[in-house]
Amino acid sequence: MNFTPQNSSSLIHVENLSKSFGDHLALNNISFSLDKGQPIALVGPNGAGKTTLFSLLCGYLLPSSGSISIAGVKAGNEKLFGRLAALPQDAQFDPRFTISHQLKFYAQLQGFTRKDAIKEAERTLDLVGLSDTLQAKPNELSHGMRKRVAIAQTLIGSPEIVMLDEATAGLDPINAREVRELVASLSSDITFILSSHDLSELERLCSQVLYLEKGQLQQHQNLQSEDSQQYITLRMKQSYDNFLELVQNVSSVVSVKQTQSNEFLITSAITQTDEPPIDLQILQLCHQQKWQYSQLTNGKTLENQLF
Amino acid sequence: MINIQRLSILTQFELIRIFKTKNGLIALATFCAVWFVLLYYMISSATEIIFSDGFKMVATTLFGALGLSALLEWPVAEFSIYWLVAVYSFPLFTLFAASDQTCSDKARGTLRFITLRATRSEILLGRFLGQFIIIAILIFLTLVACVVLATMREAALFIPSIKQAAVLFLELIIIITPFIALMSFLNSLLSSAKMSIVMSILFYTVGALLIGYIQLQFNSGEFLNYIFPGTQISRVVSLQNLDFMHYLIPLVQSVILLFAADKLLKRASL
Repeated sequence: MNFTPQNSSSLIHVENLSKSFGDHLALNNISFSLDKGQPIALVGPNGAGKTTLFSLLCGYLLPSSGSISIAGVKAGNEKLFGRLAALPQDAQFDPRFTISHQLKFYAQLQGFTRKDAIKEAERTLDLVGLSDTLQAKPNELSHGMRKRVAIAQTLIGSPEIVMLDEATAGLDPINAREVRELVASLSSDITFILSSHDLSELERLCSQVLYLEKGQLQQHQNLQSEDSQQYITLRMKQSYDNFLELVQNVSSVVSVKQTQSNEFLITSAITQTDEPPIDLQILQLCHQQKWQYSQLTNGKTLENQLF
Repeated sequence: MINIQRLSILTQFELIRIFKTKNGLIALATFCAVWFVLLYYMISSATEIIFSDGFKMVATTLFGALGLSALLEWPVAEFSIYWLVAVYSFPLFTLFAASDQTCSDKARGTLRFITLRATRSEILLGRFLGQFIIIAILIFLTLVACVVLATMREAALFIPSIKQAAVLFLELIIIITPFIALMSFLNSLLSSAKMSIVMSILFYTVGALLIGYIQLQFNSGEFLNYIFPGTQISRVVSLQNLDFMHYLIPLVQSVILLFAADKLLKRASL
């Protein structure tokens, strides 16, 4: 399936992109356009081609065919230096130099003076909560800390696009949350493109999703589209015998589908009547029946949208 | 286009790698220790032997046969021995010292951080220049040590030593340049420094055998020897009757190797 680009002045414009490694076709003729704005999720199972697409967008790989335009220039072009930053999966810092030295080096390459580069290294490390590791060498840091330092290097200068490949993989819940909060706090100035297997994380952060499967772009959608307003996802703390029957009887409910153990997708028709909104009716029913719910989501979860 | 500022930052980083990191300083200390032994035990004591009449007779016959008799007439005897050691050891040392220009960074993924901030051509050239400067500094230090050694023996040799050292410095850096470029090329092609060294050894052994075979079969192909950096060394070693070609060969080899390395690195998957 292809998604025809909507306009050629987008922030990222990919057209008929294919990449093969020998006989293996990692990406098969994909096209899409992404606009500047809220974070974009890149989702797909292992081997779907996410990292290949990431590498192509960063200019680490050359396409077998097709074209990539980022902010109007070809991927990997020097005009993108300082404008596009990335956290590539598994990329490591040089173990022989201190973190401060390497961040300073990257900042200097981006045009900072020696003095300003030191300040920039301090600023970016502070953003990821690692100010005290300035003089440490990469091998002295834990996996999670090294990942946060790698995120810090993406924030040097004022990038317009930051690509994070599995940014929170291997981080403990507290650090993962801090990274998510950092992305959310900077997303008004920076367009983030995030790849992750944690769909709930992407759901919290992203407004657009690119779903890749077997090298093909299966879906390209906006998570805040009008459609999702017709759905409620309800997660109960335990199962109740007459749950399905009673929810089905709520006026305007069209269908109730069990998506996982104790999780239900409730579809409702948008009505113009004076009756209370569907979410309030569902909550009222839970209260009346003394049902305990753990989560109510307005719309489908990302997982339910994709699979 | 090459951005001079970025090129300069990349080159400086290479210098820091050798002069400010623990591994770099260990390598530097090893180099100094080896050259201390060479200077103190070999070059210094060899000088005494050179001055003996018996040796002069043997050496004149032997060096004359090799076309090196001019070396015996150098005013500073230390440099005759230094030159014979340096002209063959520095190219070999260069193959090892410059064996990791981009390999480790490519394997570790560090190059992915850098390529978002500098072009691949700038990285290649920056690393090459960095290695060139490092080896030039090391050659300079050995020459300074040799000047000190000669001056300690006889103070009047100070000025002739400086003059001789300047000539040898220029000759040596021209000789080692294509060897650095060869390692830049192999680094663009291969993924480890060890493999680059192995390939360079195979290049000089299997490559030489192959070319020898071709020349024997077709009774021509002398020009094929020009693919080997250092091919001019045997003619340069006497430092007599040097023409422009002796300088042109290593410079052209370096340019071709760097050009090929650039093409390879630009197409490489990082």
